[in-house]
Amino acid sequence: MSDFEKKWSEACTQPQTLKAYRKYVEQWEEQIGSFLEFDPLRSLEADIPQGPLTGIPFAVKDNIAVKNYKLTCGSKMLEHLVSPYTATAVKNLQKAGAVMVGKTNLDEFGMGSSTDNSALKQTNNPWDTERVAGGSSGGSAAAVAAGLVPFALGSDTGGSVRQPASFCGVYGLKPTYGVVSRYGLTAYASSLEVIGVVARTTSMCKTVFEAMKGKDPMDHTSMDHTPSGKEVKTVGVLKIEEGALNPEVKASYDSTVERLKKAGYEIIEIELPTLEYVVPAYYTIATAEASANLARYNGIRYGHAPVYAENPTDLMRKSRHEGFGDEVKLRVLLGTYVLRSGFQDQYYVKAQKIRTAIRNDVERWYDKADILMMPVFPTPAFHHGSSDLDTFQQKQADLYTCTANLVGHPALSVPSTMENGLPVGVQFMAPPFEEDRLFQVSSVLEKEFQAPEAPGYHTDWS
Amino acid sequence: MYQSFIGLEIHIHLDAETKAFCGCKAHFGDEENTNVCPVCMGFPGVLPTLNEKAIQMSYTVARALNCKLSPNTKFERKNYFYPDMPKNYQISQFAEPVGRDGYIDIEIGDSIKRVRIHDVHFEEDAGKMIHAGDMSLLDYNRAGYPLLEIVTEPDLVIGEDAEAFLKSFRRLVRYLGVCDGNMEEGSMRCDANVSINLKGAGLGEKVEIKNLNSSRFVRKALNYEIERQSGMMDEGKAVVQETRLWNENRDQSEPMRKKEDANDYRYFPEPDLPPFRPSEEFMQDVENSLCEMPLVRKQRLMNSYGLSSDQAEYIHEEKYMADFFEQAVFSGAEAVQVYSWLSSDVKKLLNRTGLSLEDCPLSAERLAKLISMIGDGQISGKIAKKVLDYIFDEDKDPETICNEKKLVQISDPTAIGKIVEDVLAAHAQVVEDIKAGDARQMGFLVGQVMKASGGNAAPPVVQSVLKEKVLG
Amino acid sequence: MEISDLTVTATLASLVLDEAETQKLGDEVSRMLSYFEKMSEIDVDGLEPTTHALQKENRLRDDRRLSNEAQPDELLECAPDLEDRFILIPNVL
Ligand SMILES: [Mg+2]
Ligand SMILES: [Zn+2]
Repeated sequence: MSDFEKKWSEACTQPQTLKAYRKYVEQWEEQIGSFLEFDPLRSLEADIPQGPLTGIPFAVKDNIAVKNYKLTCGSKMLEHLVSPYTATAVKNLQKAGAVMVGKTNLDEFGMGSSTDNSALKQTNNPWDTERVAGGSSGGSAAAVAAGLVPFALGSDTGGSVRQPASFCGVYGLKPTYGVVSRYGLTAYASSLEVIGVVARTTSMCKTVFEAMKGKDPMDHTSMDHTPSGKEVKTVGVLKIEEGALNPEVKASYDSTVERLKKAGYEIIEIELPTLEYVVPAYYTIATAEASANLARYNGIRYGHAPVYAENPTDLMRKSRHEGFGDEVKLRVLLGTYVLRSGFQDQYYVKAQKIRTAIRNDVERWYDKADILMMPVFPTPAFHHGSSDLDTFQQKQADLYTCTANLVGHPALSVPSTMENGLPVGVQFMAPPFEEDRLFQVSSVLEKEFQAPEAPGYHTDWS
Repeated sequence: MYQSFIGLEIHIHLDAETKAFCGCKAHFGDEENTNVCPVCMGFPGVLPTLNEKAIQMSYTVARALNCKLSPNTKFERKNYFYPDMPKNYQISQFAEPVGRDGYIDIEIGDSIKRVRIHDVHFEEDAGKMIHAGDMSLLDYNRAGYPLLEIVTEPDLVIGEDAEAFLKSFRRLVRYLGVCDGNMEEGSMRCDANVSINLKGAGLGEKVEIKNLNSSRFVRKALNYEIERQSGMMDEGKAVVQETRLWNENRDQSEPMRKKEDANDYRYFPEPDLPPFRPSEEFMQDVENSLCEMPLVRKQRLMNSYGLSSDQAEYIHEEKYMADFFEQAVFSGAEAVQVYSWLSSDVKKLLNRTGLSLEDCPLSAERLAKLISMIGDGQISGKIAKKVLDYIFDEDKDPETICNEKKLVQISDPTAIGKIVEDVLAAHAQVVEDIKAGDARQMGFLVGQVMKASGGNAAPPVVQSVLKEKVLG
Repeated sequence: MEISDLTVTATLASLVLDEAETQKLGDEVSRMLSYFEKMSEIDVDGLEPTTHALQKENRLRDDRRLSNEAQPDELLECAPDLEDRFILIPNVL
């Protein structure tokens, strides 16, 4: 364990530090509102196993099941649901000794890029509380950036781990699809999403990933992790169109390229002509799957039920009408539409074919480059409300992140610079199972620039 | 002048230990909502896992129905809202079912008819909704049961055909050991579609009929529907495509409450389950799980053992009975004798004890032995029936029972003569009456002798000895 | 998109939209759908749809009962309305 990890392993396992730690969390929470539920004691009642993460506290996005904790998904629909079971990924971390301390805020059912779509709480960016922490894993990213936990789990369907990590100045890993079990992750878009890690350091990210991964008998889309062990020499850097990025993000991007060169990497420029189809294809597939995945919420077996209903149909409709927020309704409607007979070929099937084209477009570069670099998001953290970027523009801005979800490849968001007081990150993407390549490059960059400490950040619990 | 077309959609519960996509017990009749887990209750975050045995049984049925088997079978989500369906989509198959384009030969009356199978697909069952006044009660024990749906082409003509088809199909799935075919408990269910048209004009407007809970209802409902549609055609009315429910209390089909919108199931590939590509070993296991088809077996029973059509019909009804029959014959008993015992005394005992042939103490060897003991004259037919009772009561071999109970036929005329003399001495008046011409009393004496011998005397010998001693 | 199209879609999704939602969500759905039209520009004929990005092998579960950390009673407790072991829903005839 590093000094950083050792320090954290004492935060809540020592009675005298636990008090200081809780006070620290409470103070920050008044400003940032990252947790929907925070209670380290519940986990501390159990024996903590010895392992690579013994005693280290972590938070879990509230769309991932942890038994006896709520599983709200940021929705009124599930506001009072207590999970009867625990996700495999969380179990794996608990076996490695990690201590689950709370559940973090998110956009309702993971649908959003700001966490402002949470029906339960507002989460602010620790760097500027007027701004969003990003989303949909905004609570996890804010908690890690503020030093409330050294790592947190998020879920990444189209960038939901990487974008908030970038907005908050921490590391955000989206593993290869299927390498981390999805059992216990509330489904939004099943074929795209994966449980990811938000962490303060590259090495913590890697340790958590290693502890969490593995083929799971409860998830038939999960797979063994089979990396090649190849060393990264060449980085393929995505060529950026004039005006595609906010100037600060562009400056940050260029300075990362310089650092990579200085570190001895060979740089080649790459282009992805399919990039302009990524977002429509992504939203077609994601909403189609969501329309089915969210059909189960109908007020019968659990979740919100209306005060009065005449019959089962009325019950289902009312509970959905009252329980879902606008963004969820929008995506469910859209997803239902693109699957309807007569429209399915034009939208859903076409999108799945485009997905193949995008994969071909990306994979051809792996002959020339060991790893690909691209932006995370065209802007730094934006303000609450839609003044900087309306919800439609927020969706269009997912283009760099949702590529990795469509093709299933691993990707990592790495803090790169501070621009006007806000952190900006950069993204690396690697072939399937090649998370190690991401960590290699990230560690090299980390020597030059570490996750910045937001004003008020500290980890001294003594 | 009309032609009718009937197609069936049959759902069977596959007889697996667990549900299609989770490790819950798949069992009928347990206390409500006890065989449930987060997966089959559709909790957030759960994922389906494919039951190996259930998918293998699916391939077995498709193979037995002579289908083209899919080398890459895929799962799909069928989307519609229903209170007893936990996810509000059913995992089913559409584009690439387990099997398609098959057929089955069935016997209808004296002829054999080939019915084409459109497809065989794997899916999950929903829970159960019980209506109770202004409330409905939900039980999810059945939710997620492995189901196999078999869709026929509209090759059947009248209700009797459909009834015969169902009987044949039920026998087939029981032969294969994949389903008990119990329509009362819902482990086999049938929906039908009927259309009629002027002869030669092809299919008409399809009417679907649901809620056919027995093969008898299937026959009645289809014939009712054919008549109803013919009546409409006679009056020049157009038959509309609709779904009707069979009302078994009123013996009529009734339109189902009209749905507000046409169904659009929005099938799309199930992202949580990768396609299944059967390996060579898997296909070998499927081949190995096949058996001789019931109809083939029936014909063989007639040809090889000289059974009549009715006798073979009875014997081949259950695979175990047919196996039992052949084993008994193999052990030396005569085929028709085995048939007679199985169809009368054994059947009666099974009914009385509530046991099945499979788990009763009578084995094919024991029955064969029993039959051969009659043939050898060791015991009479009457004693044999007693021995059969004892086999059921005591689970012992027939010889053991005969030895223990001294159930040996007395056919030695000298030994019988002694008993007869005792009886005659005791009933001198009766003897006088017979001698005086009252032959009816002879039966009384036979009875007395049998009684005195403990039922062991051979009746033909008793009769001849009596005749000799009384009438000289 | 026509209003009637939106209504049919909403019914399929078991959603009822009030007037304001019909307006607002209708506009947003239309905006996204016209954005999706972009997909018609790219020629993907001959490409297989990607339904499962990386899954190649068969996955099967043994037909054996699994014990679950969630007991049936715990699951039932989550239901809004229960009668004994049944989950209860209204049904005005
Ligand atoms: Mg079906
Ligand atoms: Zn279950």
